[in-house]
Amino acid sequence: MRFLKTVAVAAVATLLALPAIAQDFIAGIPRNEALIIQGPTAQNADWFNIWAPGGGATTNGAQQLSADTFWFINPEGGANPWQNALATEPPIYNADFTEMTVKLRQGVYWSDGVEFTADDVVYTVQTLIDHPGMNWAAAFGVNVESVEAPDRDTVVFKLKAPNSRFHALFTVRWNAAWIMPKHIFEKVEDPLAYNFNPPVSLSAYVLHSYDKAGNWTIWKLRDDWQRTTIGMDWGQPQVKYVVYRAAGNPEARVIEQRNHNLDVINDITPEGMFSIMKDNPSAAAWLSGFPFAHPDPTLPSVLFNTKKAPFDNKDVRWALALLIDIRAVALGSYRGAANLSALATPPTGSAPDDYFVPMQDWLTNFELDTGTRKIKPYNPNIAEELAKMVRPQWGDQIPTDPERLKRTFGFGWWKQDVQAATELLQKAGFTKQGNRWMKPDGTPFTIRVQVEGDAIPTLARAGTAIAQQWSQAGIDAKVDVAGPTNGQRLGTGDFETAIFWTIETWGGHPDLSFFLDSYHSEFIKPVGEIQPPRNLQRWEDPRLDEIIERNRTVAFDAPEVKQLGQDFLKLAVEEMPMIPLMAYNKFAPFDTTYWTNYPSIDNPYSASGPFWSNIRYMVVSLKAATP
Amino acid sequence: MKILIDLLRYNREFLLGSICIAIILALVVASFFAPYDEMMTYVVIPDMPPSAEYWLGTNSRGQDLFWQLAASMRNTLMFGVVVALVSRVIAIAVGLVSGYLGGRVDQVIMAINDTLNALPNIPILLLLVFVLRDQMSWPILAVTAALLGWQHDSRLIRSVALSLRNREFTRHAVFSGMRTGKILWREHLPYVMPIVFYTTMNNLIWAIGLEVTLSILGFSDINRPTIGGMIYWANAHSAMVAGIWWWIAVPMVFVVILFLGLFMLAMSVNEYIDPRSRLARMGA
Amino acid sequence: MHGFLIYLTKRVGQFLFVVFTGVTLAFLIAHFSPVDPIEQTVALLTNFGSTDPRSVELLRQSLRELYGTDGSLLEQYFTFWSRVLTGDFGPSLSAFPTPVSTVIGRALPWTVGLLTLATLIAWTLGNLLGALAGYFRNNRALKAVGVFVMSMQPIPTYIVGLTLIIVFGYLWPVLPISGGAQLNLEPGFTWEYVSSVLVHGTLPALTLVCVGLGGWFISMRSLVSNIVTEDHVVYAELAGVPGRKVFSQYVARNAMLPQVTGLALTLGHVFGGAVIVEFVFNYPGVGKLLIAGIYAGDYSLVLGVTTIAIIAVAAAMLVIDVLYPLIDPRVKLG
Repeated sequence: MRFLKTVAVAAVATLLALPAIAQDFIAGIPRNEALIIQGPTAQNADWFNIWAPGGGATTNGAQQLSADTFWFINPEGGANPWQNALATEPPIYNADFTEMTVKLRQGVYWSDGVEFTADDVVYTVQTLIDHPGMNWAAAFGVNVESVEAPDRDTVVFKLKAPNSRFHALFTVRWNAAWIMPKHIFEKVEDPLAYNFNPPVSLSAYVLHSYDKAGNWTIWKLRDDWQRTTIGMDWGQPQVKYVVYRAAGNPEARVIEQRNHNLDVINDITPEGMFSIMKDNPSAAAWLSGFPFAHPDPTLPSVLFNTKKAPFDNKDVRWALALLIDIRAVALGSYRGAANLSALATPPTGSAPDDYFVPMQDWLTNFELDTGTRKIKPYNPNIAEELAKMVRPQWGDQIPTDPERLKRTFGFGWWKQDVQAATELLQKAGFTKQGNRWMKPDGTPFTIRVQVEGDAIPTLARAGTAIAQQWSQAGIDAKVDVAGPTNGQRLGTGDFETAIFWTIETWGGHPDLSFFLDSYHSEFIKPVGEIQPPRNLQRWEDPRLDEIIERNRTVAFDAPEVKQLGQDFLKLAVEEMPMIPLMAYNKFAPFDTTYWTNYPSIDNPYSASGPFWSNIRYMVVSLKAATP
Repeated sequence: MKILIDLLRYNREFLLGSICIAIILALVVASFFAPYDEMMTYVVIPDMPPSAEYWLGTNSRGQDLFWQLAASMRNTLMFGVVVALVSRVIAIAVGLVSGYLGGRVDQVIMAINDTLNALPNIPILLLLVFVLRDQMSWPILAVTAALLGWQHDSRLIRSVALSLRNREFTRHAVFSGMRTGKILWREHLPYVMPIVFYTTMNNLIWAIGLEVTLSILGFSDINRPTIGGMIYWANAHSAMVAGIWWWIAVPMVFVVILFLGLFMLAMSVNEYIDPRSRLARMGA
Repeated sequence: MHGFLIYLTKRVGQFLFVVFTGVTLAFLIAHFSPVDPIEQTVALLTNFGSTDPRSVELLRQSLRELYGTDGSLLEQYFTFWSRVLTGDFGPSLSAFPTPVSTVIGRALPWTVGLLTLATLIAWTLGNLLGALAGYFRNNRALKAVGVFVMSMQPIPTYIVGLTLIIVFGYLWPVLPISGGAQLNLEPGFTWEYVSSVLVHGTLPALTLVCVGLGGWFISMRSLVSNIVTEDHVVYAELAGVPGRKVFSQYVARNAMLPQVTGLALTLGHVFGGAVIVEFVFNYPGVGKLLIAGIYAGDYSLVLGVTTIAIIAVAAAMLVIDVLYPLIDPRVKLG
């Protein structure tokens, strides 16, 4: 067949010609001047108004590189987690926390040459209050009685009620209320419908170009970078261009980084991470050895819907916790690369020193009444046990120093204790028929374990492992993949148990109000209605309310904050409204081909998550690699 | 029986096809004798390449791929067969009736047919999975898929039936007083059988592709082993870039074996039941 | 000519009916979706930031007014139709306040270009090879091609795409594996841009061709092998008509009829096939948009995409139906 031969020859010729048509990854920008970060696909790439709800476009660099506000907290902790940005000092409250004064920095300019002043702040707060659809509008409306600028460098907020945490609205942990350019927005008729394109920047970078389909956005270092808070505090940035680009599925991301087209990855699977760290000599990570992962200050847990029987019974919740072999969960979800936590706060940032170390004795001595006897369920040696399991595969990469091990794999967890769980279930009126547990009403004990699925694969894997352990113990447990309906079902209480997080912290500060304030019983909605974020377990307890109310009247930096935090953590252990599992470990490798000096556990100077606004301190601290 | 032996002896395609299908069926049968619960994880050493002990290797979830494959093949085949059977019945009935009657009835039926066909399948299935959620079991999914998967084929069948309508033998049959149903069943069905056979093939491929697509997006019971489910878990563990290639290769190779087998069987059977041989016997 | 006009009128009427029913069904199904766009937006805003529970309720209230999800189903249905007729699908909820038509307008050329090209290549190549394989049934090379094409076909699109990524992006990194064109390139009819688009489209198109080829090959081959034994072909061969003419005039032409029908339907099914390929290659087309819309609960976007899909399919069928009598004169007009 001559025809076939022609086709075959043509195909081979095309293949051989392929390298000749290879194109630069970015057109017109030298690769060694650009930092390429994994970004989202923005549906509305034209939209740079980060004060109006605009679906996804804010995280492709707008909030990370062009916005600024009063303060930042380094979620990694570090030597000095509090960073003054537009303010020169921490907030100044009056005695009863009804007034907050902020001193502003001088000499900061917008990228169009207009100077930043207190008028911008007052305008921002007033505009947000006047337009209820805008972000942070409701929070300002609820809190702010009036806002004034006695002079161009001072802003005074008068509050409707005492609130010692009002400054949290302006304190960046991921994001916060950003300051608007008055001279731009006051000319706009409807600030909600204004796309703010091109955006005027208050930070060190300004928009260079973007893809209308939302696949990439490129930011360029301002010529007058000295006139920003970053320029003043951090010196000259070496990164000239920052490219936020959508990079496809996890496999594609691994490949893109190996081809040096993606310097910073947000998250991939543990296996993808291991393969990068093994095969790619230019890769770096938060931890230089196994498990390489970066723990976010977020706490994946087994959430119970405490308004649904039998999960309203703390003995049942404890029984389910004691049926878990956490080592198998760590293996199944993260291939052993998990940072376990028995306490209801993520073991990251400053939390180990604030809570985990001081509470070890209490945890070790903690007694649980199973109805027939008292047991001490805590196992402080879990880090050593996990290390032993992964050492055959990773060898020297596993630290031997016990202190280091604890900070890598966790301080401890509950021992699997099937006997104690049996006693607890019997105490709760359950009976065992053959190999199956029956509820007090005589029906089989079934549990649905809800997981999100593909977007958070490690937690889906954890849920599968836990459901399997419960099944082995005679409880009919099934995993339910909720996909995009996950958030909604959690909100309306349409679940029994779920693997998700309802606890997030500052990371760099012991104050737990970041999540805890919304745990107050005044916010609990009946099942079926939407529960406000955080307390998705609908956990209700007078002792909890007491702690929260007390915390509201204590200053942010007061020593009592830690004491209240410990009280909360103890209560959460006793009541077990959720079973804390581990820190949300992210596998986020860096490529050092063009840039070095990425943050790591030994140098935790900044957050490195691409969507975290705090990443800006990493961007300006990177050093060009010297080949 | 004798026919079967003759086919096996003289028709190489039939022989190869039978071997392929036999392998698949053997797997399905084997799945009932699995030493492990197919839902369980970490029962064997993870990430072992194919070897004498683990014929097809083990995956990162600590499962023996051979037994996973067996269970997956059984579940996936069951899904595909249900989809194919249900959609065949609808496609043949609609196609023959529409093509034979023609005129206004044909237009109305085809209008409905095209309307249903015009609805993009994937979004509709995804939406239905959302709506039914917990109630969405595989039989419901199969029937839903079947309801979405017949229009293309019924249009093909109808286009053949349409040209049959103007053939002489149809007119003979009508004049000799044959009932419509009988004409369709006895006279027209044999003509469309070749189309039915290869559309069944396509439909099976489509159904399994659908199963894989939904599984990859995470919209199926991920604990029930299926071919798509195996690939879902392999992706969730980045098997491709992590070098656990056998985890993805195994389901792929066996899907190919399944379809090659079906294809070759369909082809050889097609030759055997060639409508013209029947035609000759009827003397038309 | 008069007969053809009546035929045309009827087909256009059918086209309108298809569009009407399809759009109505799609509207209803989309509204049964339990994903609430307002909750999705709220979640987006509150997932990471510090939020005051009292504020969330207020936010929700104002979003509901903004998005216009108030009103009975019937009211929303009529609003929707008036929007469809004016080509305005309202603002996209996930890309608020960008209009859906703008969002789709940006993505559509990518999908239409990619799928038209890939489908035509697959169709032509598949039919040509299939017809040859059906006609020359004893040719070894063609049999080998058949086995190869056959074994490619059942492999899920996702796997084919991923394999191509591994081969051409990882083992031998010569082709781009994601996106529609280079970064930082202004769209336009410049050589730079067009070549960038072509290079970026190679792997997605190749995936679609690999997956699509088999179907056409199989059906064409079995159609042809049936026709070859039919009387008129046998007569023609006995009458000494040259082989090439028998193949093109007597065999291929007859076998084309169902294949052309099939092509119309496949061209319309643009979206089903696009979804996975665009998902794998992060290709900026409508399929990816649809998935994103479904995940975000953005039903104005989902409805917009679905409506466009329905109209496109119906239009493709209309065109094929109008051309039908030209190909097969046995089909009577009327």
